[in-house]
Amino acid sequence: MDSGRGGATVNNSWSISFREAGWLLLVSLAATAISWSLRGDGLALRADPIAYELELPAPLVDIKTAQVLYEEGEYLFVDTRVRGAGDFDTIPGAFFIRDLSFDDDLLEYFDFMTTQDSFILFGDGDLFSVANIATRMQDRGYQNLLILKGGLAAWQESGGEISRRSGGES
Amino acid sequence: MMGLVILLLRLVVGGVFIYASLDKLAHPQAFAVAISHYHIVPYPLLHLSAHLLPVVELVIGAALILGLAQRGAALIAGTLTVVFMAAITSALIRNLDISCGCFNTDGGHAVGLDLLWRDGILLLMCLAVMLARDPGFGLQRFFRK
Repeated sequence: MDSGRGGATVNNSWSISFREAGWLLLVSLAATAISWSLRGDGLALRADPIAYELELPAPLVDIKTAQVLYEEGEYLFVDTRVRGAGDFDTIPGAFFIRDLSFDDDLLEYFDFMTTQDSFILFGDGDLFSVANIATRMQDRGYQNLLILKGGLAAWQESGGEISRRSGGES
Repeated sequence: MMGLVILLLRLVVGGVFIYASLDKLAHPQAFAVAISHYHIVPYPLLHLSAHLLPVVELVIGAALILGLAQRGAALIAGTLTVVFMAAITSALIRNLDISCGCFNTDGGHAVGLDLLWRDGILLLMCLAVMLARDPGFGLQRFFRK
């Protein structure tokens, strides 16, 4: 009789556990949905395999999402391209952080950029060079980074805002 | 006495899961990268996992500490622990030199046998809470008839 009662107690424990687990998972799902919609941190629900297969240091962001983030003004854009002397197009308000002048560029923007800010890095479509800048920025404590998929060319093609800068401008 | 022991176990397990969730909640991108290093979760589910798992850890941790739905929380905690142990075992078998991603998305403890021992103890604690006749003091007592 005792073992029967003990067996019933164990069975009861399992059924209570499953029922409560179900409720907790529902609560978690709801909390996740609310958290994801409120955060806007740029981590899309669907992962881009390219970013992970290439082991990029930061996630890729598609043009459409990047344009939304641009309109919201929460992200700073970073132009990583090597520039020549002449005029060039870039995303309005972009900072210039380049491989060869990395330390000087960071120093120049020291008063305008903090490690708490969020950045979208873009180049000319070459993911590796942008990834290199992203890695170096992460080493300096800048953790909230995204890489623009397709670079400036894709941004322009989709009708994104462009500003023209002169060669000497930073 | 048993209730006190179970309460202690709940506080430990709950605390571990809440602590584990914090860095992952703060850095979902880095956590997604940590998950991807195991090469187990398919890409369509990768970011969803990175979003959902820390929230589940936080919710079950809070439930265990507060004493609400603690059996269910212990069941989920135990299941997650088994999943983590399977992932770590898989990484060890495939000789993957990766960080566990358990508590810290930036570097952190490398996968190893010691993690399996740790998780094994955690699993036993979860089972004890789930099957205990007296789950110890908790808020759930105030909702009982």
